[in-house]
Amino acid sequence: MSTQSTDLSEGKSDVLSEQTYAEIDQWLKKYPPEQKKSAVMAALRIAQDENKGYLTTDIISAIAKYLAIPAIEVQEVATFYSMYEHNPVGKHKICVCTNISCMLNGSEHILDYIYERLGIKPGETTKDGKFTLKEVECLGACVGAPMLQVGKEYHEYLTPEKVDALLSRLD
Amino acid sequence: MGDKKVTIEVNGQEIETQAGRMLIEIADEVGIPVPRFCYHKKLSVAANCRMCLVEMQAMREGMENPVVPACATPIGDGMKFYTKSPKAIAAQKGVMEFLLINHPLDCPICDQGGECELQDIAIGYGEGYSQYTEAKRVVKNKDLGPLIATDMTRCIHCTRCVRFGEEIAGTRELGMIGRGEHTEITTYLEHSISSEMSANVIDLCPVGALTSKPFRYSARSWELNNVDAIAAHDCVGSNIIVQTLHNKVKRVLPRENEALNEVWLSDRDRFSYLSQTHTERLETPMIKKGGEWQCCDWNTALTTLVAELDILVKDKKNTIGALLSPSSTLEEGYLLQKIVRGMGQHNIDFRIRQQDFSQQTLDPLYPHLGVNIDDISTLDAVMLIGSNIHKDQPIIGHRLRQAVLKNDTKVMAVSHRQYSFHFPVTENIIVHPQRIALQLAGIAKALLTLNNASAPTGLKEVIDDMLITDIQQKMAEKLQAAKRGHLILGNMIYGLEDYAQIRMLASLIASLSECNIGYLTEGANAAGLAIAGCLPHRKEVGKENNQDVGLHAQEMLSKTLDAYILLGIEPELDTLNPQQAINTLTASSMVVVMNAFVTDTMKQYANILLPISTPLETSGTFVNTNGMWQSFTGAVSPYKEARPAWKVLRVLGNLFELDDFDYRSSEEVKESIASKYTAEKFDNRIIWQEHLFENRINNVNNEPIRISDVPGYAIDAMVRRADALQDSLDMQIADKVLMNEKLAQVLQCHADNIVEVEQLEGSGKFIVAIDESIPDDCIYIPSAVAATTNLAAPFSTVSIKE
Amino acid sequence: MGGMTRFFKSLFLVELLKGMRLTGRYLFSKKITVQYPEEKTPQSHRFRGKHALRRYANGEERCIACKLCEAVCPALAITIESEQRDDGSRRTTRYDIDLSKCIFCGFCEESCPVDSIVETREYEYHGETREDLLMTKEKLLAMGDKYEEEIAADRAKDAIYR
Repeated sequence: MSTQSTDLSEGKSDVLSEQTYAEIDQWLKKYPPEQKKSAVMAALRIAQDENKGYLTTDIISAIAKYLAIPAIEVQEVATFYSMYEHNPVGKHKICVCTNISCMLNGSEHILDYIYERLGIKPGETTKDGKFTLKEVECLGACVGAPMLQVGKEYHEYLTPEKVDALLSRLD
Repeated sequence: MGDKKVTIEVNGQEIETQAGRMLIEIADEVGIPVPRFCYHKKLSVAANCRMCLVEMQAMREGMENPVVPACATPIGDGMKFYTKSPKAIAAQKGVMEFLLINHPLDCPICDQGGECELQDIAIGYGEGYSQYTEAKRVVKNKDLGPLIATDMTRCIHCTRCVRFGEEIAGTRELGMIGRGEHTEITTYLEHSISSEMSANVIDLCPVGALTSKPFRYSARSWELNNVDAIAAHDCVGSNIIVQTLHNKVKRVLPRENEALNEVWLSDRDRFSYLSQTHTERLETPMIKKGGEWQCCDWNTALTTLVAELDILVKDKKNTIGALLSPSSTLEEGYLLQKIVRGMGQHNIDFRIRQQDFSQQTLDPLYPHLGVNIDDISTLDAVMLIGSNIHKDQPIIGHRLRQAVLKNDTKVMAVSHRQYSFHFPVTENIIVHPQRIALQLAGIAKALLTLNNASAPTGLKEVIDDMLITDIQQKMAEKLQAAKRGHLILGNMIYGLEDYAQIRMLASLIASLSECNIGYLTEGANAAGLAIAGCLPHRKEVGKENNQDVGLHAQEMLSKTLDAYILLGIEPELDTLNPQQAINTLTASSMVVVMNAFVTDTMKQYANILLPISTPLETSGTFVNTNGMWQSFTGAVSPYKEARPAWKVLRVLGNLFELDDFDYRSSEEVKESIASKYTAEKFDNRIIWQEHLFENRINNVNNEPIRISDVPGYAIDAMVRRADALQDSLDMQIADKVLMNEKLAQVLQCHADNIVEVEQLEGSGKFIVAIDESIPDDCIYIPSAVAATTNLAAPFSTVSIKE
Repeated sequence: MGGMTRFFKSLFLVELLKGMRLTGRYLFSKKITVQYPEEKTPQSHRFRGKHALRRYANGEERCIACKLCEAVCPALAITIESEQRDDGSRRTTRYDIDLSKCIFCGFCEESCPVDSIVETREYEYHGETREDLLMTKEKLLAMGDKYEEEIAADRAKDAIYR
């Protein structure tokens, strides 16, 4: 009797769309066929984007099945990197850097200001499901500290006014 | 790297060794202690605990000496290391302090206390106080099944258990999720672990995070007495340490033996001790008088037995048969056959699950694997015929897996069920059991063509108009190409009705491809019992008795004899055809049961019940599949009135007034066999027997037949009563009937429905499961489980009703 | 000279009077004999008498079956058997102290990580059979319940030296 945890059967499942599989296939082409697991990070990112920004155990199982690796291996990767989410997130994920350069330049005030404005602390989502606030480590933009990231964009030299402008721009 | 010799210096001591090895290996070899947690000699290097930091002499003048991890520092010529310098000690103490930050101070209730690597090393490198004042982390415990208890807060993330799963067990079940302070060891969605070697993580865990669940809180490591013993559940003969307290077995641990089990132990060997105090243990001798069971003392039981049997024996026409478990010791087997032969009979057999005995005279002196267990890793190609190797002989399965990983061994399988091995199988033939011989004939034909040889007499007609399939061709080519190829006949083969043909063809394949062939057997001592002469056609050390061949196991169980002696078996589970066995035994007027356990079924057919000790309570010898004689002593005294079987048999011999029964110890019994035995290195290939194929290879009718095997945790009376093993995932199959989708549609069976399976006059209830590992026209029902005690022999037709 | 002195000394019973003087002195001096059992000597709070197993204030027994006392006992007087209790905690199923073996060294108390096994001030006990001198878990817990106040006060007094 095989158990779910060790089942290495390959194949697709209906958790992920054909389009997602097609995108994952693009990544699979970049690696040798016996090294399918190299595509695990890309696969997780693609699946996360498809699923409104977060991963579920069903998705992790589906990716493990598609890449023919043990599900626990996928879960290890998915829980190691902080950019993979495991709970529903808002439409916009505001990632405020609180690492040393940003901290010295007042990232705490930025967090405080966002709390004032949206009423959420790091790790929380606004009631309308629009924003999720995250405290993150260095994003490599120390020159523009304090900074935050929304989606794929960096916003640097932050001040409360800039944050205001940004938040009202995001709908 | 390779063999280049280099000289290094550790603490001023010059050591010459090969370049490229890790410093910690060399330090271990010469006995320089280096503290470590994540490093383990049988696992890959992870270098994540940092406990083995040592100071290294800087390579350049003026550079500061670096501290390097000894487990991940390959040595080069002239390197100098200091393991005890102030700098090294400071580094190690620093690491220790970090490790202790989150480790709870619960040593008094921790089962690892007293044998804990963290505890030991903390004595050397830990401080008596901590600078850390913040909150410690707490981690939720995980449920890893009935064998492994977890206290995950204690985990120091050495990842030995994770690497064990990936590298040794072959099932990546444990993993490390999260990171930093949130790192946790867990299984995916908290599944139980299913590996047959899973409990080795208990030994590997350097702290008390993973401990033995059945042993939990029952004793402390320092108060246990250690007794060296031999595991009694497979033909490997793994070396074990039995730990006892107050004359009770508390725990079984592996004993390192590089030739056999290395440092590992299968879960079966580790937890079978749980049956020691099972409620079904037979406490005193019992006699059935007028249909009523009465407890009695040994004296009464034995004198009654001798009196009854003596009357029977006086009339030469009467027949007595003895059946014994393939896990009986060499001494028990030798004495039992001596008694049976002393009565002028030859009806003795331990091959209780075999169906086809037609070519038993061709059997080797004892079933030999044909290759040393520690040489398996050097094989190039292995063909498994009817073997579920990693569940039946976990240690050999592990060796084979290592061969696949390290030597790129090609493993092929021919079987009636597709097993999910923990190594890749290059070619798989999964067929109806009656077609296995045909498939082998096909491979033989391919090999004959490859070698431009003509078919031996008798086979030509069979294979002439046969088409060689792709898979057969590939298998033939792989075996032909292998420098060291090997064919293994597994546990399932003996139950097939054309076993003789299959073995003959396997032998032919081996000869053609210049491979060797070997047997894997049920039980711990099939080899020893063959040597002891527990066979109807052979006396001790293989002396043939051609004139007076006795009855083999199937004959004994199909025609009722006047008396039976059953040693260590439960015929309702341990024989091929339980239904027939029970009927035959019930019809017999005298059945003597020598067993450690008693059941109600046993009480129906038995007349005298004699309590004997389990392998943990008796001294004896097991001969493993490599012909290694391994003797052991009893770890605890026998349960209540039970006595070691060899002693009971010796007394019986005396009471029957047979010659040469004055043994004072089991060593003397063993000596009397050993003195006659000369070890020989023999070839398992057999001479071609043309008459075997006179009737061709049997035809398959299309009626669905029952296929079967013995689940790993149902193999003998002890294992079947080890509760923790019975609760494991592997035993979920015990009440299932498996078939593929195609057959399920024909039979109109639906998954999870309960059906009644009928075979001749008996039936049993099973839950349907659809499983594509079952070939067409086959219905898989396990053997040796409670639900099948009323069924007849596998590999025959069954009917299924909703 | 010597002969004369000896003669008069023996004539006037000097030796005897010396002895009587000592007797007389003790006859009138303050008496130090303790009239046991009516009177008792004072005890140190570290007195090591008959053993007891303590409980926490909520009634839970302290002993966690770590078996350190069993290991440290130089007279091998302690026998413990343990198992997992239904609530998952580690508990003893048997805790015996053989008082006929015990040498009252106090190591068991010293080794206990949870202050469970203690030696009380109780020293007046006897046994008519060997069984009477075998302290079982029940007897030990009963001892603990009986003397808990005293035990707690004694430990508190000693705490500053630990």
